[in-house]
This record gives sequence, C-alpha cells and structure tokens, in this order.
Amino acid sequence: QQAIRGKVVSTEDRLPIPGVSVKIKGTAQGISTDENGNFSINANVGQSLIFSYIGMQEKEVKLTSAAPINVALEPTTGNLDEVVVVGYGVQQKKLITGASVQVKGDDIQKQSTTNALQALQGQTPGVQISSTSGQPGESMRVIIRGVGTIANASPLYVVDGVLTNDISYLNPNDIASMDVLKDAASAAIYGSQAANGVILVTTKTGKSDQPAQISVDTYTGLQKLARKIDMLNAKQYAIIMNEGAINAGKVPYFTNEEITNLGEGTMWMDEMFKDNALTQNYSLSAQGGSTKSTYSTSFAYTSQEGIVGGKSLSNYERFNYRINSEHNLYNDIIRLGEHLTFTYLNSNGIGVGNQYNNSLRGAFNTSPLVPMYDEEGNFYDNTNSSWNTGEANPYATMYYGNQNDRNSQRLFGDVYLIVEPMKGLRFRTSLGLDYNVNESRSFTPIYRLSAYSFNDFSRINQNMGKNKSLLWDNLLSYTFDIKDDHHFEAMVGSSAFQYDGSSIWGANINAVFNDLEHAWLSNATNANDAAQMTLRGAPDDADKRMSYFGRLNYNYKGTYLLNATFRADGSSRFARGNRWGYFPSISAGWVISNEAFAESTKNWLDFFKLRASWGQVGNQRIDAFQFMSPVTFLNTNYIFGNQEGVLTPGAYPSRLSNVNLKWETSQQTNIGFDARLLQNRLDIAFDWYDKITKDWLIQVPVLATAGADGPFINGGDVKNTGVELALNYHDHIGEFNYSVGLNGTYNKNKVGSIPTADGIIHGANNLLFANSGEFYRAQNGFPIGYFWGYKTNGIFQTEDEVNSYRNANGTLIQPSAQPGDVRYVDVNGDGQIGETDKTMIGNPNPDFTYGFSITANYKGFDLAIQASGVAGNQLVQSYRNHTDPYSNYTTAILDRWHGPGSSNTTPRITEDARNWTNFSDLYIHDGDFLRVSTITLGYDFGKIIKKNYLRKVRLFASVLNAFTFTKYDGMDPEIGYAEGFASGVDLGYYPRPRTFMIGTNITF
Amino acid sequence: CTKGFLDTEPITELTDENFYRTTDDAYKALVGCYDGLQIVWAGGVSLPVATEILSDNCFGGTGNSDGFGYQMLDEFDRLRSPADQNLFVDNWIAYYKAIYRCNMLLGKLDGIEWGNKADLRPVYEAETRFIRAYLYFDMIRLWGHVPLLTEPSNENIPQADPNEVYTVIANDLKFAIENLPATSYASQPTATYGRVTKWAAESLMGRVFLYYTGYYKQTDLAGVVDRSAALNYLEDVINNGGFSLVENFAHLWPASLENYVGEDNKETVFAIKYTFTSDYDGNTDGNHWMVMFGMREQWSFPYGNGWGGATVNPKLWNAYNRNDSRRTASIIAIAEEGINFTNQSKQREYTGYYNKKYSPLVDENGNSIAVNKGGVNFQIGQFQDYVSIRYADVLLMAAELGSPNAQTYFDAVRRRAFGTNFSAQPVSQSAIMNERKLEFALEGIRYWDLLRQGVDVAASTIAESTTVLNGGQEVRKTISAGKINETNGLQQIPNNQITLSNGVLVQNAGW
Repeated sequence: QQAIRGKVVSTEDRLPIPGVSVKIKGTAQGISTDENGNFSINANVGQSLIFSYIGMQEKEVKLTSAAPINVALEPTTGNLDEVVVVGYGVQQKKLITGASVQVKGDDIQKQSTTNALQALQGQTPGVQISSTSGQPGESMRVIIRGVGTIANASPLYVVDGVLTNDISYLNPNDIASMDVLKDAASAAIYGSQAANGVILVTTKTGKSDQPAQISVDTYTGLQKLARKIDMLNAKQYAIIMNEGAINAGKVPYFTNEEITNLGEGTMWMDEMFKDNALTQNYSLSAQGGSTKSTYSTSFAYTSQEGIVGGKSLSNYERFNYRINSEHNLYNDIIRLGEHLTFTYLNSNGIGVGNQYNNSLRGAFNTSPLVPMYDEEGNFYDNTNSSWNTGEANPYATMYYGNQNDRNSQRLFGDVYLIVEPMKGLRFRTSLGLDYNVNESRSFTPIYRLSAYSFNDFSRINQNMGKNKSLLWDNLLSYTFDIKDDHHFEAMVGSSAFQYDGSSIWGANINAVFNDLEHAWLSNATNANDAAQMTLRGAPDDADKRMSYFGRLNYNYKGTYLLNATFRADGSSRFARGNRWGYFPSISAGWVISNEAFAESTKNWLDFFKLRASWGQVGNQRIDAFQFMSPVTFLNTNYIFGNQEGVLTPGAYPSRLSNVNLKWETSQQTNIGFDARLLQNRLDIAFDWYDKITKDWLIQVPVLATAGADGPFINGGDVKNTGVELALNYHDHIGEFNYSVGLNGTYNKNKVGSIPTADGIIHGANNLLFANSGEFYRAQNGFPIGYFWGYKTNGIFQTEDEVNSYRNANGTLIQPSAQPGDVRYVDVNGDGQIGETDKTMIGNPNPDFTYGFSITANYKGFDLAIQASGVAGNQLVQSYRNHTDPYSNYTTAILDRWHGPGSSNTTPRITEDARNWTNFSDLYIHDGDFLRVSTITLGYDFGKIIKKNYLRKVRLFASVLNAFTFTKYDGMDPEIGYAEGFASGVDLGYYPRPRTFMIGTNITF
Repeated sequence: CTKGFLDTEPITELTDENFYRTTDDAYKALVGCYDGLQIVWAGGVSLPVATEILSDNCFGGTGNSDGFGYQMLDEFDRLRSPADQNLFVDNWIAYYKAIYRCNMLLGKLDGIEWGNKADLRPVYEAETRFIRAYLYFDMIRLWGHVPLLTEPSNENIPQADPNEVYTVIANDLKFAIENLPATSYASQPTATYGRVTKWAAESLMGRVFLYYTGYYKQTDLAGVVDRSAALNYLEDVINNGGFSLVENFAHLWPASLENYVGEDNKETVFAIKYTFTSDYDGNTDGNHWMVMFGMREQWSFPYGNGWGGATVNPKLWNAYNRNDSRRTASIIAIAEEGINFTNQSKQREYTGYYNKKYSPLVDENGNSIAVNKGGVNFQIGQFQDYVSIRYADVLLMAAELGSPNAQTYFDAVRRRAFGTNFSAQPVSQSAIMNERKLEFALEGIRYWDLLRQGVDVAASTIAESTTVLNGGQEVRKTISAGKINETNGLQQIPNNQITLSNGVLVQNAGW
C-alpha cells in the first residue's frame, strides 16, 4: 500500500469539495477530503476508489498508478436529499407533502433576462407567466393554477421571508432558488395573502468554511423586433379607401393617376421601431465564510433599451447592491444575520396601456399619407391636410407625449436573530423592511400635429412619494424524535405587518425651458391660472395585519408523512367583527417505495411517493375602508357667480357601506405523486388539483335608486381544475451529459355563483376602439373573462345568398346585408340577429401551458435550450379604430371580399365599418404558440487556461426569443396585457424583442 | 373601546358618521346637491340633446360610422339599434345619485348644529328640495314611471304612480317658494348667481303645472296647486322678480361673440351652470353634451367642431318668418352663411343646419375657446350654462295660463324677435304654442311642449318622411307616428336596471 493523494472538485464551479467520502472499493477503509478538497489514502494500485458526497453523483476511479489524482464530481439533478424552501422554513424534498416546485438560481441566470420572473417562464408546470408588455421594466403577469379572481390574480412573493407583491427589483444573479407553492396546503401558512399561490425567493448566501469566491458575470446584447406587422402603404391605402368610397356609392377619393404617383408613403411601423437596442448586464459578486461568519455580496448594473422609440423614449436601468451575511455570536447558539438589497431604478417609457394610452396604436391607425417631417425637418403638422386633418404623426405623438423620467429606490430585506439553546429547539425573530422612494417628472412641449393632437401650453409634472412596510416575525420551532422512528417538527409563530406612505404631486404650465431636463415645477411660470395648476399631497391608506400560525410535521420512518398548518390573520381592511380569517390545511404522503412489498420494483423504481392535500387560503386585496361609507370632497364642486373657473367645493357620501365584508377564500384539494425511475435518471411529478376561489371581493352594480356606488361584497366563485406533469430525464454518454425536461398543465376554468340577477359581471365598454361595446364577461358556467359576441358563418357572396338567409317564417334574417357582408349565426333561432345571439366565441384562458428544456455539456462546452408555450386560448385583435373610416389597415385587408368568391373570411370595405361595430369572432384569433425563449452555447476556457486562481472563464452566446411558432398574425402572441379581468387583448401590443447576446462568467 | 393595532382611519376623507355636523358641513352637502344636478348629463345622453332629437326640431345625426342609438331615439324604434338597450343608463344612475345626495341632506338637517344661523336651515332645505323636484320632473317626463325615493334606501323599489311623483315635486316647489327670500334679480349678489331663487321655484312650478295638466289631462297639479295659483306664481315672478328681456335676441347666445350679454343675465331665471374645469381625473364641471351639437369634425369660425349630433331639421329653418331675428340667432345654416363644410362623408343625417344656441366656439385659428380658457379639450371643456328657464318662458307661460296681461306678454316676446318689423298678432293657445317653438327652438323645450298637447298631437307633428345625407349619400328618413303613439312619448327604461331589479322595474310600452 502507498499513500495516494488527490483533490476533489465540483464539475460545476471547479471549487474544491470538503468532506467528500473516499472509500476503497470492497473494503471498509475510507477517509474524507479536507477543507481544500484534498485527501490522502493508503491504497494499492489496481484498487478502485469510490467518491461520494450528498448532492453529487458517486464516482469510481481505478488506480492505475500512485500518481496524484484529480477527481471532479457531477452534481446530481434534483437530489431527493436536497432541501427545498417552504413557508417559514425548509424541508427535505422527499418529505414534502404539498405541491411545490423549485427552480434553481442557475436555471434562472442561464436565461439572461432582465426580470427574474421572465426566466421562470416554462420551467414549472402550473405557472403561467407572460409579459404585460415588451417594454423594458414592465411587469410580468403570473398566474398559478388558473385565474381565480376578477381582481388582481398575481401571487404573493416572499423574498428571504419578507412579503411583497413585486420582485422586479431583484437582480436574477442574486437568486439562489425560487420555490413555487401551488397547492393550498403549501401556501396556507401564508394564509391571508396566498389565494393566488406563493413564490418564495431565496437569495444567495455564503457557506460556512467556504473559501472566498469572486465572480464577474456580464452580458451584452442587441435587441430587435422579432416580427413586424405590415400596414398598407400609400398606394394600397388609396386603393382600399377608394373601394370604401365606391362601396358607399361615392366617387373614389383618388384618381388612378394620383395613385400611381403615391409611392409607399410613410411606413409608420418602421418609424416606431428601432433596431439594435442595447441590453447589458454587469455583476460582480463575492461570497465565502469562516466558521464564525458567512457572507455573500454583489453589485450589479443592468440596462435595457426599448425597441419602440429607442433609448430616449423607452429605457430601463437598474443598480443592485446586496449584502447577506450571518454571524455566529455565541457557540452556534446565537446567530445574527441580515439580507439587504438596495435597488436604484431609472426608467422612462412610452404608453403601453389601453387604446388611449398606447403609443404604438397610432402607428396602426395613421395613414401612410402623413409625412414624418416637414421641409424644415420638424414633425409634420397635419392640421391643413387635404386628406384627413384629424390624423397625427404617431411617432411625434409618442415623442411629445412621453417626455418622462422616473426613478425609484428600494431597500428590501431583514435583520434576524436565531437562538438554538438546545438541539432541536429554535427561535427566530426577524424585522423585515421594504422601503420605497420614487420620483417622476414629465414634460409636454407646445406642439401641433393635427386638428386634435396639439398642446397649447408647455406643461410640467413632478411627483414624489415614499412608503415603507415593516414586518416583524417570530418563530419558535422544536424538532424531536420519539423512539427514533417517529419524527416530529412543530412550529408556532406570529407576524405583524404595517404599511404607510405618502406622496406629493404637482403640475403647472408655461415652462421657462423647453425640455425634460429642466422640467421642474420651479421652472413653470404660470401664477394666475389656478385651473392649470395642481398641487396635491396625501398619505397612503394605512394597512395593517396581525397573524398567528402554527405547523406540525410528523413522519414515521420517512414513509408515512403528515403535515398540518393553521393560520389566523387579522386585517385592518375589514370592519371589527369580520377582521379575522382562519386558514387551515392538512396534507399527507406515503413513500410506497420504502415499503417491503415494493422491493420487487427496486430495479426500476427508485422512489415513489403518493401525496394528498387540502387547505384554505385567503385574499384581502381591496382598498382600505371599503366597509365604510366615505364622504367625498374630491371633484365635488359647483360654479356660483359669473366668474368661469371659480369653484365652490361641496361634498357627498359616495359609496354605500358594507360592514359584513370578509376574506375571500380559496380552497384547494391536491393529489399527486413524485417518482424516480431508471436508476435515478427519470424524475416524474404529477398533480391533480381542484381549486375553488369563493366569496370574491367584488363591487357589484347596485340598483341605481340606491343613489351611491355599490359597496364591495363577497360573492362569486371560480373553479380551476387541472393536472400537471413534469418529467426530467438525465443521462450521459461518456463525457457527454444531457438532460431533457418537459412539463405541461391542463387547466379548466369555470365561474359560478355571481351574485347579480343575471349571474354576470359585465366587462367594460370602450376598450377595443372608441365607443366599442361589451365583449368579455364573468358569467356562471363560463370561463372567467370569456369573449362574448356574435358567431359568424362566412361572407355573403351574392345577393341570392342574402335573400336565402331566412328564418322559419320566411323573413330575412339580415335584411340590410349586402354581398360582402358577414353572415351572423342566429344562435337562439329566433329568426333575427340581436343581443341574445351573442355567445361565447373565445376563451382567453389557455387549456394547456407547457415548457421544455434541453441541456447538454461536453468537456468545456455547454448548451441550453428553454422553450414554453400555451395552447387552446384565444386572443382578441383590435388594432383599428373603426369609428374613423380613414384609419389604416394591416395588409390582411388585401384578402377582403371584393366580388363573389374572393373571400369567405374578411368582409368587404365599408366606411361605416358595419361588419366590425358588433363584436364577433372576426376579432378572435387562436393564441396557441410555442416559443423557444433561450438558446445558449457556452465554453469554459478554464479548462484550457489552467491558472489556479481562475476557476472558470466561460464565454457564451445566447439568443433570447429565438423562434416563435404560432398561427397568430400579430407581432407577439404572448399577450399578458390585461384590462380589468379582460386578458389576451391585442390593442397594438409592445412585442417582446429578439435579443442576440454574448456574455462571460468568470470565477476566481 | 380602545384603539387596537388593526384600527386605522381614513385621513383625507370623512365618513357619513362624522359629517353633517356643522352649518359648514350643511353648505358643503348643499353644494354637493348642485354638483349632482350639474353632472346628470355628463355621460349618457343629455336631455337638451335628446329632447331636440325626439322633437320635430332635429334628426339623430352623429358620425356616419357611429352606432344607431340616436336614430333609435329619433324614430322611437327599438329595432333601429337593438344593441342600445341601455342608452340612458348613465343618466338614470346620475339622476338617482343626485337625488340620493338631496335625500341624505334633507334627512340630516335635524342633526346639524345650526346655532345662531337657524335662518339658513329653511333656505338650504328649500334649495335642496327645488333640486330634487327639478330632477324628478326631468325623470318623470322622460321615463314616465320611475321609483320614488324621498329618503335614502337600497331596497328594490317598484315604479311609483306618476301622481305620487308629481305630488312630491309640487310640494317640494311649494316649500321652496314659501321659504326662499323674495330678493329681486337686481339685488341678488353676483357671487350667488346660480343659486335657486324663489323666482326659479315659481317659474318651475308653472312649467310643471302646464306639463302635468296637459300630458295627464288634469285640471290641477296633483291637488297641490290649481290654475290660478300657478298663474299667481308666474305673475309674482313678472312683477317682483326684477327680470326683463335682453333687447336683442341674438345677444342671448355666445355665438354673437362680443355682443353676447353673458351668463346670469337679466333674462336668466334658472340655469344649470357649467365651467371649463372638467378633466379626466374626475372633475366634472363642464358642459359635456354641447360637443354633440358641433359640426362633424370641422370648424368654421366662430363655430367649433363637434360630433354632428342632432342635425337641425330644415323644417325648423323654414318655419321662421325671414324678418324673425331668431332664425339666424338659433340656427347655423351652412349654405346661407357660406360655410365651406366638406366633411359630409363623416356626417350622418346631414341637413345643412346645426344648432347655433349651443354650438361649441372657436377662434379665428380654429382653436377651441374652451381650451383657450383653460379647458382640457373641446369635448369636456365646454362651459356654456344650460339656461333652463328664461324670462321669455315665464311671460309666455303666464299668457298661456290666462293672465289678464296675456297680449302684452305675448307681444313683448314677439316685439323683441321682430324689432322694427313687429306687427301684433292676437294671443291664443295655438299662437302661443307656435311662438314657443320659434322662441325656444333647440333649447330642450320643444318636445315637452308637444307632448303636453297630447301624445297624438306630438306624434303627428313629429312624424315625417324626407331625405337626408348619410356620408354624403341621399337616404330616406322616416319617423312614423305609430311608433311615437306606441311609446306614449316615453323613453326606454335602461334594460340593465330592469335586469338588476330582477323584474321589479317594468319596461315602458313600445320598448
């Protein structure tokens, strides 16, 4: 025997692994690696060494000589011994009885996104994530297990134990893991806030005895529009306008000669979008630890320019500073630590809201006849146009209307103290803080672009606000075993929450300087015209909560698992008698593969756990004081006397009170299993769930005779039922390692018990274009927000077809129709087309959401592909303002009906848009898509450079939003924009850019 | 009880528990009632626009690709726009909101600490009750059958017998007449213009009396006021109110530009006042309906652009004697004034005539006067008051009720209209009705004057078949008397309110 020396590192980060067990095969002889991953063992050449370590794949090395050996261990993916984060604690994955899913920080950083949530897209079943806009810095719409409410359906976020509803401040590089709690049993410990699911975010921390590790991560990318919409050019536009005139029995507007000379005109889409918009990220991080203290800290800068309008109009910039550390104050009994992130955000942006607030929409409607600039190079003033004085240069409208600058600062985190006086007994107290300050300014210059688009006074707006949330949590837990086989874990806790804030805002006219830089209220000179001046300030409504909760975990031999939680929440948003809500849950698991009778399956089934859970969670997201009847002073004035603009203030009680208002409750049952097969190569997780969200907090219409706005009441429910499946397979062929992940969800959504006479909560009017009618509803028996309108059945090709469309009595069903008009389906069979023929013609909620990922590595190379998609949902596309006959069309109109047989889908051109004023399935498009969201190829030069201070030098190239497979003809089928509970509405959606980037990861 | 951690209270709002305490609260609540009246037409269809369309003065008009709601009004035909089942719902809601404010205040008057200002109480009560009466009078005329609330309630209340509604209206007005001071126009402080006066209450009583006794064919007003009492009220306004006719009819209207006599002039007995401070943050102080009357998307100094609603029937233009100064003061005539209107393609039911009395105005460069004043835009920034009762109306009502001075009153109105071309006509019921048509054209009065002569009279007067231009193309326009008779001249109860009431509210005949 001779001493064999060596070193064990991880393949992942090339870091040494201390504590790896090194055994000689076939003997009991073994030792562990030291702090630096080094080992020395007496063995014979010819014998084999077995290296094993929790979380790493076991490796066997045959000794061919006595020379020192270097061993690299692969991490196992999804190891069962690993711990995952649960509410107020962690738990071993194999003992979990609820439905939760963890995504590692690595899998998030790999996506190179600005927003961490976007990186989560497609990675977890049951979680539908979509951009609300492609504008940098805009939020994501996150729906866990189907839309459960007509109010805000986004989940609760808990970052290192601190509750929040917005995590856009986070640098994705700082995230160690994200855990999504999907079922009520997992989420119930967060009680009142958890009705829409919970996403737990854990930021990176140092490890005890970890050598200092410094990383520099960067990427730089160029973004461009992935798919453009083609609008009619000037020539096509003139032809279509002429056709409209002829169809109306008028003389054409343009002569053939005029049309010949028109050329292309202004292609507004090309003017609006900018190519090569820059996105970049630089982060510097360090982490490490001694036996006394651990730390993890980082600084990052991220910026992303918008592809609409470019940097000066649409831009996002973020600075992140983070420090997490923990200190052992006394003998491992008392520990003190903190998580703190400071974020500085700078942004400006264009309108991405409703039809009146959407900068891109103008480009869809303005004719190509409007020039971009006049002869002097100024934006063209169309006031005296010979064609249409009402239309304005949409780029200029966007430019003038979006001179704004916003910045905000956020300090987020907590300071905590842990006391463990004896083994198993643990007390933790923490004080969380979420402090926000924001400031914004905007400037509107004097301009004139058309008869309606002008501004006669330069105007300055300036706003400032700040707010803070404090969260004080106390947890006491005790873990103990009885007779070794009975394992107990008990936890009780309390949580107190308090929010307050205030803001001040002002506006005035007549700026001294004509630019945004000088847009400060002191530079506005108007002193006499009070009507043009705004000066306001107010505190935010205070918000307070008090909560008590407890959890009991029990397992017998790790085979029979039981978990019960209970939470009581009191909220200031309800009247005294209804303040408290109680949220219980229970869940159980059975690890069948531990049973003796399962021995026979051991050769192919490594692990199988059956799970079942039931629980209730709540929601209290309404404004404060809804239970009171407020007396409103705001906007209540009358003018007495003959001086215009001089108002006398008044007051009136504006809303009825409802002191019986109580918590909205979501109740969910979940049954599922986790399995691991084929020598740990294949992981399967399956879940079935049934989630009913009831007692919605809604403001229903009251009888007008009540004379005031209706109070919020509890009523209405929606049931989401679905199944989720996640498969993950990993293997290797020699040094080629690969894994394939696949996940999918089927969800069905059905509304019930709407407490109005007609069982309907009606959607808003005026959303699709000016004066458009109702088109979405929440109605008993239908999916939430379904699209409501006429079914069509082709186009009348001839006069005969119109005349043969008759009811049973022989009268014409559409007496005023002409060839080329749409044939509506007489759904109720009453022989005429009317309101009662409107029916469900689309569903914005997808039946399926799915994702897949492929990763592979070979020597220094690595490849990752991530994709996600939805199926079975519909979108409403409404680009055109039909009330204006001269609005431009997309080139889709070239396929219109213009003679028998020419089209059976697109009706003829009419100036009164008669085929479009009623909402019908002409607006409906299938929203199915599959998007390959990331393709990354990297190479680690660390293997070539071999400097001992360099652990990793990886270079990578990525394409984000690489391919989208869809039949939808808009710019982007992923439309997370929602207006109230109307989702999937494309009013001229800011599309997500395609990004080509290169980056580096260097670790010292 | 002690204040716990979870007890919070609003800082920038009061609640109905701690409001209605001081005389200042009472005054604010009273202003809240005026505000309620000011916004009944901020959305939906305003009565000044709707009643002109319903009458024989105007067609529906609006944009050529708009919905057909205004045509449905014009032709009294639900099938003309089946989707518009809730055309008036915004107004229905706004009227009841305003009534709620009045009822709340009236119910809280006893709880207010009046102290040494006890004389304010009857005045505030009188003003509030006048506003309530004004609101109910609009509603009962438009819809015929409405739920009657004299105190706040969120019960599902069925429609009341019209007589009960008129009893409340008459008693409210009577209270106002008896409790408001007899301050003449000349002695009224300028700053209080717009407040309800004794004269406004007396004049409105005359109008209610004439409408009720006419439409319902009764001899007195719900047993509260008889014919001679009604006449006495009007004579009181004439003798003691201090009003008089503005010398030149055209100068009553802003379109007369520098000659305009201004708002709250000596002929204004009651007006709903507006100003330009409306915005999209909830301030609703403006005249939101006048933009409907403007020429469709085109201006021509001094007339501003608008949405081309309620295009004026050429019959009205032709009804005036060419010496009658009221013709050109009331109507914008495209051809006669040589206006280069080219936007026929966007205008539905173009007739060549628009409303001049309530037209938005622009300066020589086409800039909206409302915006020049500081309004947000030409749509909600319009600020012209709605002059509800003019002194000329008081004179003609008194003449109609058989005043001994009937001929003098009648002549006064006509003399102003014709100036030097005046020649006397003998006063008679039919002469008065004809004169009222010419005098109050496009002021939201004509339709009620027709209805109070009987639904059949109204129907046969309004019915016609003619041609108009839709998008520049000639189309046939037919309004049939049968449809008007079917509806009794009443409008559709908003269908969603019927649904909401679970059928407790009943739809009017013909709708």
